Amino acid sequence: MPKILFIEHSGKEHLIEAEAGKSVMQAAVENMVPGIVGDCGGACSCATCHGYVDPAWQDKVDPRNETEEMMLDGAMNVESNSRLTCQILVKQELDGLVVRLPSSQF
Amino acid sequence: MSAAISWDPYNADLAKDPYPTYKRLREEMPLYYNEEHDFYAVTRFADIEATLRDRDLFSSRHGDILEFIKAKSVMPDSVFIHQDPPKHTAYRSLMQRIITPKRMHAVEQDIRALCARSLDPLVGGDRLDFIANLGAEMPMRAVSMLLGIPEKDQIAIRQSVDDRLRTEAGKPIDIAAQQQLQQDALSGFDEYIAWREKNPSDDMMTELLQSEFKDPEGVTRRLTRDEISNIVNVVAGAGNETTNRLIGWMGKTLSENPDQRREVAKNFALIPQTVEEVLRFEPPGPFLAREVMRDMELHGRKIPKGAAILLLVAAGNRDESRFVNGDSFNIHREARPHMTFGQGIHVCIGAPLARLEGRVALEEILKRFPDWEVDLDNAVLSSTSTVRGWDSLPAWIGSKPKNVTVSIPKPAAEPAPAPAAAAGPVSLEGTWNVVVKGPTGPQPAVLVLEKSGDTYTGSQSGQGSTTPIADFKLTGNKVYWVNHVTKPMKIKVEFNGELNGNVLSGKAKAGFMGSYPFTATKA
Repeated sequence: MPKILFIEHSGKEHLIEAEAGKSVMQAAVENMVPGIVGDCGGACSCATCHGYVDPAWQDKVDPRNETEEMMLDGAMNVESNSRLTCQILVKQELDGLVVRLPSSQF
Repeated sequence: MSAAISWDPYNADLAKDPYPTYKRLREEMPLYYNEEHDFYAVTRFADIEATLRDRDLFSSRHGDILEFIKAKSVMPDSVFIHQDPPKHTAYRSLMQRIITPKRMHAVEQDIRALCARSLDPLVGGDRLDFIANLGAEMPMRAVSMLLGIPEKDQIAIRQSVDDRLRTEAGKPIDIAAQQQLQQDALSGFDEYIAWREKNPSDDMMTELLQSEFKDPEGVTRRLTRDEISNIVNVVAGAGNETTNRLIGWMGKTLSENPDQRREVAKNFALIPQTVEEVLRFEPPGPFLAREVMRDMELHGRKIPKGAAILLLVAAGNRDESRFVNGDSFNIHREARPHMTFGQGIHVCIGAPLARLEGRVALEEILKRFPDWEVDLDNAVLSSTSTVRGWDSLPAWIGSKPKNVTVSIPKPAAEPAPAPAAAAGPVSLEGTWNVVVKGPTGPQPAVLVLEKSGDTYTGSQSGQGSTTPIADFKLTGNKVYWVNHVTKPMKIKVEFNGELNGNVLSGKAKAGFMGSYPFTATKA
């Protein structure tokens, strides 16, 4: 199973095994990674699964879609590598993905 | 053998502590059917989650409130909480661009100032009421502020919007002024929209007026005035009473968990997780409902197409399979999302504002009052099919004095000022202007009474329909009558009031939707 490294804003690391086909948000929530909330459960309707994809991985994940762009436009502390993690599907090629988390989701 | 489980959302006795029943339902009857009111209910976290995620099988086309679904209620497209895709998608994505976390967070300092304005006068005193002093005020004003109503110049208009937005019970009101505001409310609001159209700013109303969106028919256009009015009503209604209830539950829960409260008072960094735990532990909106679109089976039982299914969020939030010792309040528990804001495409769009208001309110309370003890003997709990929480929650600042023997009158129990009370009793016969403070705002109606022999007959008009009243009774100054309303849904409304001077006031019980205060004055 692909591994994903989540790094909390405090620097605390969580290396988890993610199931391919699920979203990065789901992987975080199922592994109880603090800092990813995912209120809407993956409907791209709440912007509480915000994460920063490590620059080395930015080109390997699928690009933002229109809805995600719109949601990020109104979200807090958005950077060029900001993503809503419910919109990134886990796949084998993403083994080793690094996602940093904002200080707060709300 | 244990007794059969019965759960009825309209049973006020059960509303005081529904959690033991929820626990039994989760464990013994994960799919519950209530014969009397004909609805199904699920209580396990996983079942609620699966239901909210499957928007095709579980529809919102008749809304998310049990009674509305049973009445097959239909609302305009722009009432997007009451729609399925693609109608829902068209308006929700527009609103998602307008009610953004960024915009909500921009008013943090204003919310803090509102809290200070409410709490500062209480410093040095020995009592505070979490609802009258804070919950009934701050969230309502925060919404007005987001809408962009300038405080200095638009006091009158803001007041009428406030009144339209106000849904909570138990606050003394000036009846004559209320009547006037009622009449002015709609025109005042239209005036405000027109004024804002000419004076654009960077607020929500300006964006509502200027933004283009693709409507459900695929036409790119701006919102109509009616659509703006509907949307503002939905947003304000949803963001007002719920946050009021959250503030009450923070007061109650932290009073009953003094060790955790002291810990938070010493370390404000714990406040966000404390707010989350209160949201999980006592959700202001304990239920959501959906309509089942196909015959289905769950936990070995068939559910027919067209059935109403109730999702007991308050039960799911304490599901032991997700939250260890779910029935205990613990700000340090596992950080897992609760279900209080719902889930899926209808997830609460105002959640960032609710969390912000909860955090700022708790900070401002704790800064001034690190200790309090709620006075439950003088508190009033209310539960309707949409919200559960305190109408009044007085507390002693510090701790309860040891020698208190006489209960202090609660603010909500003060009689509403009746300006014409001195004018002497009036004849019941004639035309009365009735205002019911219903769940979606004040509902005006006209009651016409005629005397025939020793009894009264008459009719009542509202929402575009007129129906005869029934069972009119006059005992002393106590008045009772029944109105079978047909619009927007068929429902029996029982009025129980008292005549004081020329003002008739009391409670209107709308079937199983709950009781709401009403006032009536002679036309």
